[in-house]
Amino acid sequence: MHQLASRPPLDQTGETLFSLRDVSFSYPNGTAALDTISLDIAPGDRIAIVGQNGAGKSTLLKHLNGLLPTQDGTLTYKGLPFDPDHLRKARLEIGLLFQDPDDQLFCNSVEEDVLFGPLNQGLAPDVARSKCEAALADVGLEALGARPPHRLSYGQRKRAALAGLLAMEPEVLLLDEPTANLDPQQEELLLQRLKDYPGTIVCITHNLLFAYELCQRTVVLEQGRIHHDFSLRELVSHRAALRGHGLDFSFRFVEQALPENGGSEVTTSPGSEESVVAAEPLVSLHDYSFAYPDGTEALNGVNLQIRPGEKLAIVGENGAGKTTLVSCLMGLQLGRGLYRLNGETVSASNRKQSCRTVGLVFQDSADQLFCPSCAEEVAFGPRQLGLDKVETERRVGSALRQVGLEGYEERVPLHLSGGERKRLALAAVLAMQPDVLILDEPTAGLDPDGEERLLNIIRNLDVTLVLVSHDLFFVRQLARRTVVLHDGMLVQDYSTESFFNDANLTTLNQLDFTYRNRCGLEIMKLQHEHEHTHLHSHLHEHEHRHGDQVHSHPHEHEHEHAHTFSHTHHAHPEKPVAAPEHGHLPRADKPHQHDHPGHEDEPHDHDH
Amino acid sequence: MHISDGVMPTSLAIGSGVVSLALTAWSAHRTRNRDLPKVAVVAAAFFVAALIHVPLGPTSVHLVLPGVVGALLGPSAFIAIAIGLVLQSLLFQFGGLTALGGNALLMGLPALGCGLLFQLLKGTTIRRQMLVGGLSGGLGIIGSALLLALLLAASGEDFLVVAKFALAAHLPVAIIETLVAAFIVRFLARVKPEMLTAPFTLKD
Amino acid sequence: MPEVINPTIELPLYILLVLLCLLAGCFVLAMKAVKNMAAALQEQPDAMLPLVDATKPGTTPLHRWDARFKIAAIIGFAFLTVSLHRSLYIGAALLVAAGLVSLARLSWSRSLRRIMAMNGFLAMFLVVMPFTAIIHPDDTLIQFGALSSWPLNLRGLELAVQIVGKAWTVALLMEPLLATAPLGSTLAGLTRLGVPDKVAELLLIAHRYIHVFFGELQRMRCGMEARAFRSGFRLGALRDYGNFVGMLLVRSFERTHRVYDAMQARGYAGLMPQQEVGKAKAADWLKMILLVVVGLILLIGDRLAGGAA
Repeated sequence: MHQLASRPPLDQTGETLFSLRDVSFSYPNGTAALDTISLDIAPGDRIAIVGQNGAGKSTLLKHLNGLLPTQDGTLTYKGLPFDPDHLRKARLEIGLLFQDPDDQLFCNSVEEDVLFGPLNQGLAPDVARSKCEAALADVGLEALGARPPHRLSYGQRKRAALAGLLAMEPEVLLLDEPTANLDPQQEELLLQRLKDYPGTIVCITHNLLFAYELCQRTVVLEQGRIHHDFSLRELVSHRAALRGHGLDFSFRFVEQALPENGGSEVTTSPGSEESVVAAEPLVSLHDYSFAYPDGTEALNGVNLQIRPGEKLAIVGENGAGKTTLVSCLMGLQLGRGLYRLNGETVSASNRKQSCRTVGLVFQDSADQLFCPSCAEEVAFGPRQLGLDKVETERRVGSALRQVGLEGYEERVPLHLSGGERKRLALAAVLAMQPDVLILDEPTAGLDPDGEERLLNIIRNLDVTLVLVSHDLFFVRQLARRTVVLHDGMLVQDYSTESFFNDANLTTLNQLDFTYRNRCGLEIMKLQHEHEHTHLHSHLHEHEHRHGDQVHSHPHEHEHEHAHTFSHTHHAHPEKPVAAPEHGHLPRADKPHQHDHPGHEDEPHDHDH
Repeated sequence: MHISDGVMPTSLAIGSGVVSLALTAWSAHRTRNRDLPKVAVVAAAFFVAALIHVPLGPTSVHLVLPGVVGALLGPSAFIAIAIGLVLQSLLFQFGGLTALGGNALLMGLPALGCGLLFQLLKGTTIRRQMLVGGLSGGLGIIGSALLLALLLAASGEDFLVVAKFALAAHLPVAIIETLVAAFIVRFLARVKPEMLTAPFTLKD
Repeated sequence: MPEVINPTIELPLYILLVLLCLLAGCFVLAMKAVKNMAAALQEQPDAMLPLVDATKPGTTPLHRWDARFKIAAIIGFAFLTVSLHRSLYIGAALLVAAGLVSLARLSWSRSLRRIMAMNGFLAMFLVVMPFTAIIHPDDTLIQFGALSSWPLNLRGLELAVQIVGKAWTVALLMEPLLATAPLGSTLAGLTRLGVPDKVAELLLIAHRYIHVFFGELQRMRCGMEARAFRSGFRLGALRDYGNFVGMLLVRSFERTHRVYDAMQARGYAGLMPQQEVGKAKAADWLKMILLVVVGLILLIGDRLAGGAA
């Protein structure tokens, strides 16, 4: 291969970068993933592709760099279809960021990995090396180039993978769930970096707050079809549309607006405030420390008491010791100091018994699910406890019912959706009937629909709850008490309310929670009752005039009309709570009338 | 389940190395070219699976799974095992440089045999696949143990008794591997049956 | 017993017991060391799998040695070592290997750990060989009291000791071979010795994903323990092991496709891009010749001494 000092981009022909016309795709097993997608992406566009799990988002993304061949319809990049030669060149300027950075970091050091792309582009080694250094500096990893990827944290690996793309100076970045499993701080780092990126971005995400900051345009996919294609500002202000696609994260804000109601719901769980204080602590850590063999002090003199029925949240930045604390509570690790569980001291000889009392739902369900059927999965715990068949079956049934997975007994856990898997993992822990339930980042990687279901399930559980989370909404909803870990030390232990009012936190502990709140507030402002006019196209049903006939049927067209849109949030607490409404119906003062060009050509299932 | 450096005479070590190289080349040839990186990733998974220790009485044995490697990878199994062994000798301490060839043979040949056996007999029902999988798992270990004994015996008459010992010591391992292999195949047959069709092999 | 008179040393039975106890003690200690190591490493997920490559450049002659020559020389020396028959010369080879380790200023603890980890297996030879080696006419036997039908053959013991010595030598050689250059350069050296590029590429990919899968293994293992998994030789537990391995394999298969996609997405066209490589210098040749000649001298000395005996 000849070596270049720089690489000229492919010539741009036409106005659009990507142009898809009636692209359909079905997988070899028959699943239809894309259905007549038509989409134009212009240079410089920043598009968020949103939609429920299984809506075809990833399939669409894989089409855009030719990882999946076009089965039906046409797809062009810079005016040309992906024939082998064009595809090879195009891939060198289209960067795809995978969801799991380990898929992408396939070399043995970060540097080699970042060099992989530029060298494939045919750049001379010294040019490639300087690009590699620049890209690493860009993502803040200049000091870690020689490290093997498995010695980096998750967030660092994500950024290393991004550096591998940036070093290729791509014209397009395709991002697959870029924020999955990142903590807020890492998320903001990534966001800042992407905001500086000058090219086109196509981003799949459930994280609308992130999308809102990064993208202007949004494409909503449902069952392989494009359902909406409009600006992101409009999407987030249309609650009904969001809800219809399982994307409604605004339940978060509505709940947040009513802390009194939410609060009283929490206290209705057994163990009212007084009895909680009076009861013997279920978990008691006294001057507890833990150091890893390499000398890292992960926990330092922690004192913590958890009483039966308490709902506790543990927060702290990454590396603060949250995970270590959890594995000590589970008996997976043993530190120095006194740990009493249910009145008994946990020691080297009995620490493996701790997991009978304490249940843990992992952040990543994949680490917890390993059975060929849901029933076996849930039965695993009870079997290990030595329960008989009848009792095991009873527990399997009731645990699956508790999480809303009845009828799933024979399903394969691996084939379930992310939200279902999370609930299955919860069921598997609940079947052991633990006294204390620990949830480690329960909302990581879930879509808003899945989050809401999970929240409702957890809220109704009758256990002592320990929530380890960056997700402040969940913390506020579920926990009455919050402890803050920092550098292995427990620096705060107070009510969740005081935690939220603690202004020092962001500066003290680098807990960057403000960013999400900022986005949230901005979006909420958009969700005021408002009326506006815009041009958009989507499928909807309304009465319209057609010649001398007035009739109603669903049809898709582009038109301009006024909307009413109302919902309640904290800015108007005095207003009655009404179901949010997206008024597409003609209003009395503004009759909905418009032309309908091309009506005759559209398919009709009725006579005129 | 391995021969250490210094047991085999140099001629045997080099001879087995040459045979292993030829088999590796054949195995690579029988694998679709574009699937070779995938075989490497799966080899890594088997390497890691072999770090799992199953307790057995006062001691524990680690899984070897030559039968399952064969069942999943077919002819590609040999190259996967060769990769695994080279890395084992790079990362760990067992089966050093000079015994690589011998060790590749004693793991790889049974894997190829069991792979063939599995593909011929697997049938279509999960039950049958599980039985055949278990059979391959057990035979894989027994085959390896026999080859180990053979190589030891060929290394000199002084090693005859050691060879017999090694053979006997592998009986309990064979039992464990039979059962674990059967359960692995059952799992795969229910969760991802396409893995049981030697997906990386060039089909004629 | 055949009518051969061997030189025999008679010792009381209790000496055998003492010896066996000593051996058992050594064995237990060795096993414990291995187990402790595993436990310590398990709590520190990073280090369970030792790194085989150097992350920081060194300045010793071994670090500066061109990988091609280093590989050829060390493999050559290893094969020459395993061809030795005399304990004295094997000891000398062991010293040479130890010399290389100190010359490269490598951590002895890592080298010793390599050696400790294989001692459990080697102990088997030490115990079994003295009693099972075929008795040749001039072998010295040690008889313990009344156990005349079960003599200890000193030649068997020597054979076992030789195996241990050779295995240690080769194990010691691994560190100077691998820990003095990044793995990529070592493997690039391998390809320049005529090994197909593809092989080096597969080794690199497999090496990378061993670390990824090992992380998965540990987290899944944690997941099982968090649900009170009891290991043991029971059908139920073996089924859980089967599911566990099955899941590990399924995850790896699914990952293979994503990894391949990721490679293609960054322009992979069947071969990893080559890194620049230096030219061989006279010093590289010299070092190789030196090591191989040392090995040859040992072999010739070994064989000549054999002829004299």
